[in-house]
Amino acid sequence: MEPSLSFLSLLIFLPTIGALLLVGFNKKAVEAMRFFTFGVTFLTFLLSVVLWNNFDASNAGIQPAADGISAEWIASWNIHYRLGYDGISLPLVMLTTFTTMLAALASWSINKLHKGYFILFLLLETGMLGVFLALDFFLFYVFWEVMLLPMYFLIGIWGGPRKEYAAIKFFLYTLAGSVLMLIAMLMFYYGSGGQFNLLELGRIAQGKSAGHSFDEFTQIVAFVLLFIGFAIKVPSFPFHTWLPDAHVEAPTPISMILAGVLLKMGGYGIIRIAFPLCPVGAHYAAYWLVAIGVISIIYGAFAALAQTDFKRLVAYSSVSHMGYVILGMAVWYVVPENGISVTANRDHWLMGMNGAMFQMIAHGVSSAGMFFMVGVIYDRVHHRDLNQFGGLAGKMPLYSGLAAGIFFAGLGLPGMCGFIGEVFVVLSAWSFSPLLAIIAASGVILTAGYILWTMQRVYLGSEYKGPHAEDITPINGREATVGFVLLGMAIFLGVYPAFIFNVMDGSMAQLVDSMEAGLQAAGVAINTAAQQASLLP
Amino acid sequence: MDSLGYELSWYLRIAWLLPLLGFAIEVFGGYWGTRKTKTAAYLAIGCIAAGFVLSTVAFCRWNAETGAFSHSGEAAVHEEHASLRHIPFAGQAAVADHAEGHAAEHAEHGSGEHVHGEHASDGAEHGGAQHDEHHAEHQSIAALSGTIYTLGKFGDLEVSIDYYIDSLTILMFMMVTFIATCIHIFAVGYMSDELTEDYVDHFAHTSDGHHVHRPGRFYRFFSYFSLFSFSMLGICFAGNIFQVFVFWELVGICSYLLIGFYTERKSANVAANKAFIVNRVGDFGFIIGLMILWTYCGTFKFGDYEVDGHERPGLFSMVRGHDGELAQQGSDVILKTHGHDGHWQAPQEGESKTIPYTLLVVAGLGVFGGCIGKSAQFPLQTWLPDAMEGPTPVSALVHSATMVAAGVYLAGRFFPVFTTEVLLAIAYVGCITLFIAATIAIVATDIKKVLAYSTISQLGYMMLAIGLGGWAAGLFHLITHAFFKSLMFLCSGSVIHGCHHEQEMPKMGGLRRKMPITAYTMLVGVIAIAGLAIPGTGQLMSLLTFGAVDKPLAFSGFHSKDAIVATALAYTQLNPLHFLLFLTPLVTAGITAFYMFRLWFYTFAGDPRDHHVYDHCHESPKVMWVPLVVLSFFAAFCAANGEQGSLFGMLSFSEPVGLADGMTATGTAAIAVPSHHAVHDVHGTAGAVALLAAVLGTLTAYLLYCRKVVDPENIRNQFSGVYNFLVEKWQFDNLYDAAFVRPSHSVARWCAACDRNIFDAILHGSVKVCIWVATIDRKFDEGIVDGLVNLIGNVTRSVGLSLSVFQTGRMRQYVMFIAVGVVTLFALLFAFMPKA
Amino acid sequence: MEAIGLQPVLFVSAVLFVCGVVCMTTKRNGIGILMGVELVLNAANLNFVAFSRYTSLGLDGQVIALFVIVLAAAEAAVALAIALNFYNNHLTIDVDRGDELRG
Repeated sequence: MEPSLSFLSLLIFLPTIGALLLVGFNKKAVEAMRFFTFGVTFLTFLLSVVLWNNFDASNAGIQPAADGISAEWIASWNIHYRLGYDGISLPLVMLTTFTTMLAALASWSINKLHKGYFILFLLLETGMLGVFLALDFFLFYVFWEVMLLPMYFLIGIWGGPRKEYAAIKFFLYTLAGSVLMLIAMLMFYYGSGGQFNLLELGRIAQGKSAGHSFDEFTQIVAFVLLFIGFAIKVPSFPFHTWLPDAHVEAPTPISMILAGVLLKMGGYGIIRIAFPLCPVGAHYAAYWLVAIGVISIIYGAFAALAQTDFKRLVAYSSVSHMGYVILGMAVWYVVPENGISVTANRDHWLMGMNGAMFQMIAHGVSSAGMFFMVGVIYDRVHHRDLNQFGGLAGKMPLYSGLAAGIFFAGLGLPGMCGFIGEVFVVLSAWSFSPLLAIIAASGVILTAGYILWTMQRVYLGSEYKGPHAEDITPINGREATVGFVLLGMAIFLGVYPAFIFNVMDGSMAQLVDSMEAGLQAAGVAINTAAQQASLLP
Repeated sequence: MDSLGYELSWYLRIAWLLPLLGFAIEVFGGYWGTRKTKTAAYLAIGCIAAGFVLSTVAFCRWNAETGAFSHSGEAAVHEEHASLRHIPFAGQAAVADHAEGHAAEHAEHGSGEHVHGEHASDGAEHGGAQHDEHHAEHQSIAALSGTIYTLGKFGDLEVSIDYYIDSLTILMFMMVTFIATCIHIFAVGYMSDELTEDYVDHFAHTSDGHHVHRPGRFYRFFSYFSLFSFSMLGICFAGNIFQVFVFWELVGICSYLLIGFYTERKSANVAANKAFIVNRVGDFGFIIGLMILWTYCGTFKFGDYEVDGHERPGLFSMVRGHDGELAQQGSDVILKTHGHDGHWQAPQEGESKTIPYTLLVVAGLGVFGGCIGKSAQFPLQTWLPDAMEGPTPVSALVHSATMVAAGVYLAGRFFPVFTTEVLLAIAYVGCITLFIAATIAIVATDIKKVLAYSTISQLGYMMLAIGLGGWAAGLFHLITHAFFKSLMFLCSGSVIHGCHHEQEMPKMGGLRRKMPITAYTMLVGVIAIAGLAIPGTGQLMSLLTFGAVDKPLAFSGFHSKDAIVATALAYTQLNPLHFLLFLTPLVTAGITAFYMFRLWFYTFAGDPRDHHVYDHCHESPKVMWVPLVVLSFFAAFCAANGEQGSLFGMLSFSEPVGLADGMTATGTAAIAVPSHHAVHDVHGTAGAVALLAAVLGTLTAYLLYCRKVVDPENIRNQFSGVYNFLVEKWQFDNLYDAAFVRPSHSVARWCAACDRNIFDAILHGSVKVCIWVATIDRKFDEGIVDGLVNLIGNVTRSVGLSLSVFQTGRMRQYVMFIAVGVVTLFALLFAFMPKA
Repeated sequence: MEAIGLQPVLFVSAVLFVCGVVCMTTKRNGIGILMGVELVLNAANLNFVAFSRYTSLGLDGQVIALFVIVLAAAEAAVALAIALNFYNNHLTIDVDRGDELRG
C-alpha cells in the first residue's frame, strides 16, 4: 500500500482532530481527557508505524512519490501542500510520535487547566509532524510557526516559577531564528524564479535544473542565515541559553518533547534545507560548523558539571550531546582534483552524517528519559537541588535502576543508543580535523564526570538530605512503563543500530553525493578548501 | 575447517551470552524471589559454569584441530615452527605460511643471530624474509574470525560485531570462566549476610549517627557479577578493536557498579566514580587510537574478511602483512592491501593506502592509553587501590584476575599494530608501574590494599614483558597471576569475613591457628607470587623425566616471572641503554617477595595483636574454602614446566608473526627485540638472579616480621620522610586533584558563569535596549504627536469659551448687536468702498 | 393721482424700520417685540413694493412682498406659540427673564 496524500495528512492532523474533539469534553473529566489524549497519540504512533513498515529502504529518494505528493494551495505564489518522507525524515517522524506518546503518559502530573493543556499538547504534535513531512519551504515554515505557539503557552502557563521569563525567552529566540529562515526562504524564492518546492530548489542548487542557479554569494549568505536559524533550535553554542531556562521551567512532559523532538528540528532543518540548498555555503562553513559542534560539546559538558539544578544539568547535557550532531554532519573535507572539488573523505563524511542523525534519535530517547526521570522525583519532593538529594537508590530501587540505565545511555555507554551516535561522529571527525576530533573525544571524560557525579549526589549515599522525605514513594506502574519503554528503546538502538541506519543510509548517501555534485556544479574555486587545509593542524 | 570456526564461535558465543541472560533474570531477583533465597546465585553460577564447560569444549576442539596445547613454546625456537600464525577470513582456514627449519635461514644469513640489521630500512624485520621459497605444506590455523552482525555500514566502512578466535581467546575464556566460577561460589558464602530483609551497614552512617539499615542485596550482587562476566568474555571474544572498546566500557561500568555496591557508603561511591572517570581518561586515548586507525585503515577488524566476495585484509594483515614487517616508505607506512589467501603485501605503486608512521605510533600509544587506564598502569594507577571499597569477591574477580588484566590482554592482542616506539613506551610504563606499586605495597597496612598494589605491580610486569617483545611471557604471567592473585584475594576475603570486616593487618596476627585452610592456601599464593623455587631441582627433574623437563620445582609465579626476567635480560643485552628495564623488575622481584611475606607473617603468623578480633574470628564455611583449595591447586601447578609446558606452548602458538625471531628497528626508537633463541640462552642466568632476589626478599620479611630482628617501627621512624611519601602513594592523588580535578571544576564554573554573565547578559542587555527604545517611542507619541492634536483642540475650545461671553441670552441685546453691527458694516462699507 | 416718487416712500419705510428696531430693543414684552418684528418686515415690504413700482424690478418685488406677508404670518404663529410656551414656563412674557440660551 502506497501511503497517499490523505494518509500523510491524516497522520499530521489526527492530533488536531483529537484537539477539536477535546473541546467538547467536560473540563472536570480529567481522567477521560488524559486517556483520550494518550489514545490519540497512540493512534498517531500506529499510523507512523504503518508508514515505517511501508518504507522502501532501497529507494533513496523521497517517498511515496519522487517529488512528494502535493496539492495546490496558494496558486498565485506557487505554494503547494507538498508532503513526503525519506530515510532522513522517517526516523524523526517515528521519534516524534513515539516521544509524544510517552510524554502523553507523563502528562498525568499536570495539575491545572487540563483541557487547555491537552488541546495545546495535541496541536504541538501536529506542528512537529508537519515540519518533518513538509517538502514545500513555505509549508515547512508554516508548520514551524504552528509548533511554536502551543509550546509558548505550554511553558508559559503550566511552567514553574519563572515560566513567563522562560516562555518569552524561548519564543524570542525561536522567532529570531524563524525570521532568518524567512529571509533565506525569500532569497531562494526569488533566486529560483518563484519556487518553494524544496526538491526543485535542491536540483537547482545541484545545477540540474536548466535556467536557474544559485550563485556562490547567495548560497553562502543563505546558508549562514539558515544555519543560525536552525542552530538556535539545535541549540548550539552560542545560541543555547534559552534551553536551560525553557527546560527548567517547562513541565516534565513538555521538557521531554522539547528535548526529544524540538531540538531535532534544528538538525533536521540543516540536513533537509540548509545543506542540499546551499552546498557551497555548507562547504564554505564546514570548519566553523565543526568547531561550533566541538565547542558545544565541551562547553555544554563543562557547564553541566557546574550546575546544582537537576533539570538544568540535563539541559546542558543536551547542549553537549547536540554538539555531536553539528559536528557529525559537517565533516566534509574537499580536495581539488583536476580542477574540480572532490570529496576526499566521502565514506567518513557519510558516517558522520549518519552518526549525527543517529545521535538525534538517540538523544531523543535518552534525554526524554532523563527529563522524565527528573520529573518523577520532582513530582514527589518538589525541588531539584542536586545537593539536597541522596540515598534514593535505597528508597526507590526500581526508579533508581531505570534512571541509572537511562543516565548511562546519556553517558554514552556502549550497548546503549548514545554511544553509537557519539562514537560514530567522533570516529568520522579525524578525517576532517585531527585537532577538533581530539577535543571532541575528550568530551567522554567530562560526560562521565558530570553524569556520575550527578548520580552519586542523587541516587547514592546513605540518606536523603532534602525536604519532603515522607513523600518519597516507589515509582508507580505508569511511570515504570514509560521508564522501561525508554530504557528498552535505548538498549535496542544501542545493540542494533542498523535498525535506523538501514532506513537512512540510502538517503544519506544520496545527499552526500548530491552535495558534492552541487559544489562541482557551482564551479567554486577550490580556495576555500585550501583555506581550510591551512587551518588544519 | 570452515565449520570449525563456526562451531567454536558458537560454543564461545553461548558461553559469552549465558551470563547476559543470567543478568537479565537476576536483576529482577527482588521481584521474583524473596531476599532470603539464593536462587540468583545458583543461576549466576549455573550460567558461568556452563560457560566454563563450553569453553572447555572449545578448548578441546581447538587443540584437537591445531595441536596447540601440545605445541611447545621453546620448541618453536629450536625446531620447526618459526612462525605459525595466520588469519583466515570469515572462518575459512587457509594455508599458513610456514618458514621451514631455522637451519636453512641461518645458513642464508650466515649468522646464528636473529638480528637483521641489514633490513633496517623497514621498521622491523623478520628473520625468515625468504618465506616464499620456504613455503611448506603444513596445514595449520592460528586464528579464526568472522562476523556476527553489522552495526552500521557506510560505503566501504563497516562497523560490526565480530569474533576472533585463537589460542589466546580460548585460554582467556577458560581462565575467566573458571576463576569466575570459583569466585561466584566463594561469593555465595561471602555475601550470605546480605540474605536478609534488614542488613545493617556498619560502615555507612546517617546524619543522626546511626548505622544504615537496608534490605539485603544478594541477588543484585550476582546480577552485577553476571553482567561483568558477559562483558569480560565480550572483550576476549571481540573480533575487532571497536568491539573491544564496547566491552571495555561495559566492564568499566560493571566495575563501577561493583565498587559502588555499598551505595550507602560515601567512600564506595567516590571510589566507583574515580575508577570510571580515570578509566575514561585512558579511553580518551583509546578513542584517539580508534579514530586514527579508522581514518587510515578503514576497518577495525583484527582478522581478514570478505566483502561482496572480495577478500580484504584485517588490521593485523594490513599493518604487518603475512611476514610481520612494516612496509615503510619515507615517513609513511604502506598498508598491505594487496593479496589474497592471507598473503598480504604492499600494493604496487600508485593506488597504495598509507598511514603516516607518526600516526601509527600515536594510534598505538592511544590504544595503549586505554590499556593504561584499565590495567591501572602509571600514571593512571590511582583508581585501583580505591576500588578495594567493593566487596572482596569483586576485588578478586574484577580487580585482580580479569578486568584489570584486560589491558594486558589488549596490549597482547593488538601487538601487531604497535611499532617499536610504542613497545618501548609500554615497557617503560610497565617498568615504572611495577616499581612504584611495589614500594607503596611495603607500607600499606590494609590487607586488600597490599594485594591491590601487588596487582598493579604484577600488571606492570606483564606490560613490561609485552613491551620487551616477550609476548607469550607477558600473557603467560597474566594467566598465572589470575590464578594466584584471585586466590589471595579470596583468602583475604576469607580473613575479612572471618574477622567480621576487619581489614587492618596490625589488628590481626596469628590467624593461622584459627583459620588454617585460609592461611595455607594463602601461603601457596604468596610463594607463587614471590617466585620462589627450590634451586637445583631442575637437574633432578631433568633426570627424572629423561630431559623432558628441566625446570626447577616451583609454583606458577616462578615460571612466568622467570620468563619475563629472562626476556628483560636478553633485551638488555641487545640494548644496553635500557638496562633499567632489567634491573627494576629484578629488584622489584625482591620487593614483591618481601611485602607478600610481610603480609602473610603479619596476618597469619606470630601472636594475635588484637584479641577482640582474634577471639571472634573463625574459619570460613565450606562453600568458601573449597574454591580456595581448588584455586590454590591451579596457582601452584597451572604453569607446570614453565616455558616447555603446555600452557606456554599454547600461548606461543598464537604469537604474532615474526616475533619469534626478534625484530630490530632504527630511527627514534633504535631497539632490538630479542628472539626466542636469545631469551632461551639467558634463561638460566635470569632465573637464578630472580630467584636470588626473591629469596632475599623473603628472608628480609622473615627476619623483620617473624623473627623481629629489627622492629619495623624503628625503620619507619628512621625513614619517616620516605615512609610518608609512600603512604601518600607518591602524592599522585593530591597531584591529580590539584592538576585536573579542581581545575576542571573551575572551568565548569567559568562556563556556567559565562552563560549567566555573558550570553544571558547580552540577551538581557539587548532586551533592555529594546525596552529603552520603546520608552522613548512612547514618550514621542504621547508628548509630540498627541500634544499637537490636543493643542489644536484646546485652543479652539478656549477661543469658543471666551466668545461665549457675548451670548448673553438677552434677546434685546442681540437685536442691538444686529442693529449696531449693520450700521457699523454700512459705515465701513461707505468709508472704504472705492468710489465708482 | 400724481406720483409721489420713490424717495418719500423709502423715507417712510426707513422710519418704519427704525420704529420696528427701536420697538424690538426697548420692549421687554414678547408681544411687543413681535410687533417690532412686524414693523421691520413691513418696512421691508414697503421697500419691495416701492422698488417694484419705480424701478425695473417689475412684478418680482410685489411677489416677494406677498411671500414676506405669508412668512410673517407663519412667523407670527410660531412666535406666538413660543410666547405661550414661554409664558407657561416663566409665568410672564418678559424676554429678559429668559436667558437660558446664554453661552
